[in-house]
Amino acid sequence: MALTARTPLELESGTSAPTSRPLGVFARPTATTGWKSWFFSVDHKKIGIMYGVGSFFFFLVGGVEALMIRAQLARPDGKLLSADLYNQVFTMHGVTMVFLVIMPMAAAFANYLLPLQIGARDVAFPRLNAFSFWAWLAGALYFNTSWFLGGGANGGWFNYAPNSGVLFSPGHGIDFYTTGLLITGIASTVSAVNLIVTVINMRAPGMTWFKMPVFTWMTTIVQFLLLFSLPVITVALFMLTFDRRFGSNFFNAALGGDPLLWQHLFWIFGHPEVYILILPAFGIASEVIPVFSRKPIFGYPFMVFSGIAIAFMGFGVWAHHMFASGIGPMSVMAFSLSTMFIAVPTGVKILNWLATMYGGRLWLTTAMLFAIGMVAMFTIGGLSGVTHAFAPADTQQTDTYYIVAHFHYVIFGGSVMGFFAGFYYWWPKVFGYSLRERAGKRNFWTIFVGFNLTFGPMHILGLQGMSRRIFTYSDNQGFNTWNLVASIGAFIIGIGTLMFLVNVWRSYREHKRNPVDPGPDPWDARSLEWMVQSPVPEHNFDEVPTVTEFDEYWHRKYGHDENGRLVRIADTEDVAQKGDATGVHLPSPSYWPLVLALGLPFIGYGVIYHLGWAVLGTILVLVGVYGWILEPSTDPDAGHHEVHDAHPAGDGSGAAAELESAAGEHETTAEAAEAERSTETEETPVG
Amino acid sequence: MSAPQVDRRSAPSRWTRRAIGLVGLLVLMIGLASCGDENLPLNTLDPQGPQAQEIQDLIIPVFIVAGIVFVLVEGAVLFLALRFRRRKHHEDGNDEPVQIHGNSRLEWTWTIGPAVILAVLAVFNIRTLWNLEDAQADATQHIEVVGQQWWWEFRYDVDNDGKFDIITANQMVMPTGVTIGLRIRSNDVIHSFWIPALNGKKDAVPGRIHGLAITADKPGIYQGQCTEYCGLSHGYMRMEVKALAPDDFDEWVDNQLEGPVEPADGSTAAEGKEVFFSTCASCHQINGYDASGESTGSDVPDDDYQGPEIPLLSDNAPNLTHLMSRDRFAGNMFPLWEPGAELDGVEPVGTPDAGEIARWLRDPPAMKPMNPDQNAGMPNLNLSQEQVEQLTAFLTTLK
Repeated sequence: MALTARTPLELESGTSAPTSRPLGVFARPTATTGWKSWFFSVDHKKIGIMYGVGSFFFFLVGGVEALMIRAQLARPDGKLLSADLYNQVFTMHGVTMVFLVIMPMAAAFANYLLPLQIGARDVAFPRLNAFSFWAWLAGALYFNTSWFLGGGANGGWFNYAPNSGVLFSPGHGIDFYTTGLLITGIASTVSAVNLIVTVINMRAPGMTWFKMPVFTWMTTIVQFLLLFSLPVITVALFMLTFDRRFGSNFFNAALGGDPLLWQHLFWIFGHPEVYILILPAFGIASEVIPVFSRKPIFGYPFMVFSGIAIAFMGFGVWAHHMFASGIGPMSVMAFSLSTMFIAVPTGVKILNWLATMYGGRLWLTTAMLFAIGMVAMFTIGGLSGVTHAFAPADTQQTDTYYIVAHFHYVIFGGSVMGFFAGFYYWWPKVFGYSLRERAGKRNFWTIFVGFNLTFGPMHILGLQGMSRRIFTYSDNQGFNTWNLVASIGAFIIGIGTLMFLVNVWRSYREHKRNPVDPGPDPWDARSLEWMVQSPVPEHNFDEVPTVTEFDEYWHRKYGHDENGRLVRIADTEDVAQKGDATGVHLPSPSYWPLVLALGLPFIGYGVIYHLGWAVLGTILVLVGVYGWILEPSTDPDAGHHEVHDAHPAGDGSGAAAELESAAGEHETTAEAAEAERSTETEETPVG
Repeated sequence: MSAPQVDRRSAPSRWTRRAIGLVGLLVLMIGLASCGDENLPLNTLDPQGPQAQEIQDLIIPVFIVAGIVFVLVEGAVLFLALRFRRRKHHEDGNDEPVQIHGNSRLEWTWTIGPAVILAVLAVFNIRTLWNLEDAQADATQHIEVVGQQWWWEFRYDVDNDGKFDIITANQMVMPTGVTIGLRIRSNDVIHSFWIPALNGKKDAVPGRIHGLAITADKPGIYQGQCTEYCGLSHGYMRMEVKALAPDDFDEWVDNQLEGPVEPADGSTAAEGKEVFFSTCASCHQINGYDASGESTGSDVPDDDYQGPEIPLLSDNAPNLTHLMSRDRFAGNMFPLWEPGAELDGVEPVGTPDAGEIARWLRDPPAMKPMNPDQNAGMPNLNLSQEQVEQLTAFLTTLK
């Protein structure tokens, strides 16, 4: 059909992309292979993969920083790093791991999986999605250029005022911190809005809220957390930028400012941030454990509501980071109590995962091992967290290695282990080949042992009184043994991480030599993403499924007998989609998200160095915005009226025409409707 | 159904067993290593006063409860993973598990159960919290604690006339058996005062004065460390408390209230005094002398003292009046006395570590990371060898 044949992303129909582009530079990019197909892509799957690759790169960067820290602390009176460099390294390690690894890795999973799990073809605003990624990457790279421009930030990731003021930290490291995090904050905010709109508007027919997979639920909760917590850190970062660059005095006690204001603002963001980091991993574990137990998630409503409860309570516990700050006994008591009770919904999750495993047929794949490891390790982090919810106890523990141990059990033992479970679990879905299981298990045990060797001893070190953020310690303080053990453990984690990369490479090579199709559903899984081919076709679903049950896909394969035991009712081949639909309308790629994002770091340089850079950045942003607005839809000729004529007829081509013209006329707002309608109309192959 | 390329040998695999063996070995090693008789000067679990004991009495039951939950949950994880692992005959879809979707009663139980346990513990939490707060009201003596980059100053007003009579650094001396109320301030960034043997930590925040009560049961020296990251030399910002029996403490006070002993004319120390007042006195104060080295006739800190001439960020440098009554210098990092000296009496007894002092004078930033270019910490004064020797001789007379 002529209409669809002109869309650049038209699928597997064999026709070539259109050759003439009357609007010149405003024509939309058309490449389907090569770097252009990635740089200008608005496909949630490609963006998800790019998020994943980007965050894994920064995982390696942050990991090298961690190894530098551990090398310095392996022996007393370490001389490997100067105090100055050490302070930069631990700051950059923390900021990198939080903002450039865990958050974007969660975004990688969210981007790739959330539309698939709710039966959508893309997110609500595909170009904004691309912008989120590029803005994050631009901010991340910009932040790290500080290494080459006089040194990284040296105020700690928490960056307490007034030590972060220009008086005490005159270099530009902290300016990169403030402006860099503002840029990545834009990325996260945009992404949060995008995914929230996606979940609200684009669920497949019948996919009610309480039929959504737990991963989608947790991801959705995280987007709300981001939406409400990021404005607070944005305010704080603006204030600090103004203090540092433009002579304001928000945090200057001598002139009536208050250093504790920063602490409150930072932690009002910073504590929800902890749940932003961990809830996606909870979601992943809640997908992996049921699949490999061959049982549904135990207590789905409790899992969902405990996630919501954690999110709500997460906004009411921030000052437990400030028990030694002098906020007064009444505040301490209130926050101590709220912090103790946030353990309750978290405990519910752990016990429900265990109950899911109970009575199952546990297939101990690498993904499952990582998921079980995540539950076991997070439990330790949760328990140590409860011990310093007791404010008097916390005054002994805060700012010691006990806290370092605690949050690494939460963030590494929880989030990172969860992500590794996700890598092994979804790898065949995303890349069309499985990772080798034996190497995977070796990978798991290496990381597991290294992790416990590194962070287990830190509990002891902390209780023995070793402070955080000290660049070295003395021989006579009794810290030698455990620090050495921790450093050895850290290098074992490093080896474990390399083992993962080697596994990816060798699995890929093996796949190239001797391709083994994992099929749509290698794990006999439950959620909709396993219903489509691997790797996922560009249009996701040939036909958007109508959902009638939680774990819809599973229920298409299995029923149960009168004793509640599973009975297979259909073969995977019969219920999985073939992925051969053609002519499905998809949003076209665009140059402008990248251009717009590229402008942001220049504005940052402008704040730090010279206004000229900011002018350049602003021009780029404006060009991006106008390009965004003015670029044509994929079919500039399709008139609005045609749509109205075509729509009542209800045939696929008419719907496609409507979508394209809608996109052309009100591009930014129409994209949501566009993608939504393409799911609602359940487009069938055209032509 | 398409089968993936996976290892389907029954669990635990060879690697699983190896790993379990490895973990066991490590646990054994850890057990052996922790038997070592290590000196732990900052141990948080070795209270030496009622406030620290109060915390200890709260934390031990909490650790026990957490330990029980730990064993139960981790035991359950191991048990479930081994007991319910898939076996050979399950692989072809035989003997599928019962599909349990949940059990409300069970889930409410493990929602409410932990909440009840926490509610009980919360009572003790609140009681301890307020006990520690109320302890401040019992304080009969007060010491002002001032944090700055990267050392602690302690100020005493022994006659309660509103003026400080003793200003010392790094080592806070206090009597045993009485509750001391600390008033914690900062001169620059946020620091945190922490003597783990005596109480939890409390931040020193610019623009605020924070109270903290500490009591030492027994005489002794209790180590501390600044625990709020405070910039470059945070790791080298330590302090200690020397607790003396009340009589000894009074003796210490009397000694501190005496002015310096004038070095003999023509001695190296006298030459050192001249060097001191031509270079060091622009930042450091010695009670009893004015800025030019003339006697003021008073043995307490100068009321009119305007702070260092150099615009230090902290606007403060250690008062050196009774330097040698302390153990160590520069953030309590470097010894003033040679090994073997008795340090826990009223005054240290032993040989001054002149070499360490001289090393400092030659190049302070080489010993301790500091930022003199940004007015934080002591610069290298480029003293000649002769000046260093003279100064060392003078400083070691400041007992």
